[in-house]
Amino acid sequence: MNTTAILSAVAVLGGLGVLFGLVLTFADKAFSVPVDERVARVREAVAGANCGACGYAGCDPYAAAVVSGEASITACTPGGQKTFNALAEIMGKNACDVAPGVARLLCQGENGVAKPRYDYIGPPSCHAATQMAGGPTACAWGCVGLGDCVKACQFDAMKIVNGIVSIDENKCTSCGLCVPACPRSLIKLLPRAAKVTVRCLNAANAKDAMAACSKACIACKRCEKACEFDAIHVIGNCAVIDPEKCTLCGECVKVCPTKCITHQA
Amino acid sequence: MSKLSFRGGIHPLKEKHEGKEATKSKPIRPYVPEEVCIPVDMHLGAPSIPCVKKGDLVKLGQVVAEPAGPRGIPVHASVSGEVTAVISKQQLYGKPSTCILIRNDKQDTWVDCHILGDVETAPADKIIGAIRDAGICGMGGACFPTHAKMVLPEGKTVDTILLNGSECETFITADHRLMLEEPQRVVNGLRAAMRAMGVQKGVIAIEENKMDAYEAIKKAAAGREGISTALLKTKYPQGGEKQLIKAVTGREVPSGGLPMDAHVVVLNVATAAAITDAVTEGKPSIARITTVTGIVNEPSNLLVRIGTSVSELITACGGTSEEPGKLFFGGSMTGLALPDDSVSVTKANNCLVVVNKKDAALQETTECIRCSRCIAACPIMLNPQRLNILCEAGNLGQAKKENVMDCILCHSCHYVCPARINFPFKEAKEKIAARRI
Repeated sequence: MNTTAILSAVAVLGGLGVLFGLVLTFADKAFSVPVDERVARVREAVAGANCGACGYAGCDPYAAAVVSGEASITACTPGGQKTFNALAEIMGKNACDVAPGVARLLCQGENGVAKPRYDYIGPPSCHAATQMAGGPTACAWGCVGLGDCVKACQFDAMKIVNGIVSIDENKCTSCGLCVPACPRSLIKLLPRAAKVTVRCLNAANAKDAMAACSKACIACKRCEKACEFDAIHVIGNCAVIDPEKCTLCGECVKVCPTKCITHQA
Repeated sequence: MSKLSFRGGIHPLKEKHEGKEATKSKPIRPYVPEEVCIPVDMHLGAPSIPCVKKGDLVKLGQVVAEPAGPRGIPVHASVSGEVTAVISKQQLYGKPSTCILIRNDKQDTWVDCHILGDVETAPADKIIGAIRDAGICGMGGACFPTHAKMVLPEGKTVDTILLNGSECETFITADHRLMLEEPQRVVNGLRAAMRAMGVQKGVIAIEENKMDAYEAIKKAAAGREGISTALLKTKYPQGGEKQLIKAVTGREVPSGGLPMDAHVVVLNVATAAAITDAVTEGKPSIARITTVTGIVNEPSNLLVRIGTSVSELITACGGTSEEPGKLFFGGSMTGLALPDDSVSVTKANNCLVVVNKKDAALQETTECIRCSRCIAACPIMLNPQRLNILCEAGNLGQAKKENVMDCILCHSCHYVCPARINFPFKEAKEKIAARRI
């Protein structure tokens, strides 16, 4: 057996190992990129749903944007007030109280309430259906109920019940992903506290609105007269509530003849 | 002569002769309605502006709506009689259209027509103006104003005018009957268009399932200056502009480009016939040939006045043999479903199909099995299965990069799909166009 050959092989490979180790140690020191340890802490504090509600592709880019000062610390709505406080602490800013929001559907046109115009037989998509001769509902503003928003929701907060969308307020994080999904712009992000809402966007005249749906706003202005706080106004044939002025007294709900104004529990 | 074609495509309803058997031997018969409801936004572009009011008496061919802008076209009364109302009524489009209702006095008194003369001798510089004044728009289905197509922007040149007589869509036989019964009108219209644009070459392209029409056109075109005929393979979507140009000239329209980028203008044969009427008789576009087929008792090719309601068409064809499940304009591949039977026939509607409840039912969709049949069928060489995944995931930016905007919405991918996937490319294109992704 040739002992020299074995020893020389060990020596050469060992020597190379030591040499490469030294080069790598040097490279690690010389070319190191400083990482802001706050990015990791922000990433830890956000909701981590990768939903995209903040406007970034996911939680990692959002965390980087927060630390670079580019993104607002209140953009992560799924995380809520807890996340805002945590991010404020990490970033050394003052935490501001953000009123928690919720997505609400401004339509009550369930089966039997809103009248259909035709039977829609086609791809199950609200966008596709509303392109078909103005949509399958008699009301050109009403919920089609084919669930484009349900597909967009990342938090399982929406489902189709009796022909329209029902939103589970406990699950809704007010991320706003459902808002652009609706081809009729029926979903609105409202403050959670604003419990009195006009759940109709029908801008047709009273006769046409009544013909299309029994729970449509007919612009009778009774709510306007009943409101003592100047909080509700009929604008373009449909009542609109100013949530800042509304005191939730519920007078408008009582006088509405078509029950299109609701007071959520 | 060799038969021309393109790559990809499908053979819809091949075993049923593309559904055309019922009407291909039925001669065109005119139908005059009691009342018409003429929408003013039949063509692509800004709607025309109504220039008559309730109570006005109008003559046949009188302008009832003025064009809006240089690309617009006027709308003419398709019957003579009294204007009963100008209303807003839901038609096929997303928003309600302004419509002019005219009660027919059955007199058919024509308005004074300005005749340009024979297609070979009429002043060439006046022809495009006559086409505009006659309110002619693409009668193959797209309804693009024809005069706008014929006025080329600076720097573009055209050396060929293609007449599209392929009629590759299922059920439709309107163009087939027109070419068979009045080939001279079609050929004359092509000559007028060639003279107006100063183009030396005109080709009339016809699919091989219409050999009788091909022979008739060939006979009519014999001896006419610059006109030749081309026989195409029967395949869908052979009548798509880009597929037709590829098959006949071998040129390819660049992505996002128009036929004029391949130095070609494509016109439908029915449009050509309308051009002949406008030039030689000064008559505007007030009627069109519409095939009415499906479960109607007497499937027919009707010469219909523009604005006739669909319910009248069905009555004119003897009613339906069973309860209808769906009505649609156009063939079964690219047709548009109707909301009800009160919709009016416009200049674009070459066919009305009535189907029963069983055929109207939506087929159940299952998961994609990556069989790639859609890729083989796509006539523009896209990858529908990948685009479907991207569109479903909402990744429209990537879908746009992978050329979803070039999709011609022929639905060949949906037709061949064993999982019956509804490829959502129409919605994707609309969303991309609206959001400018």
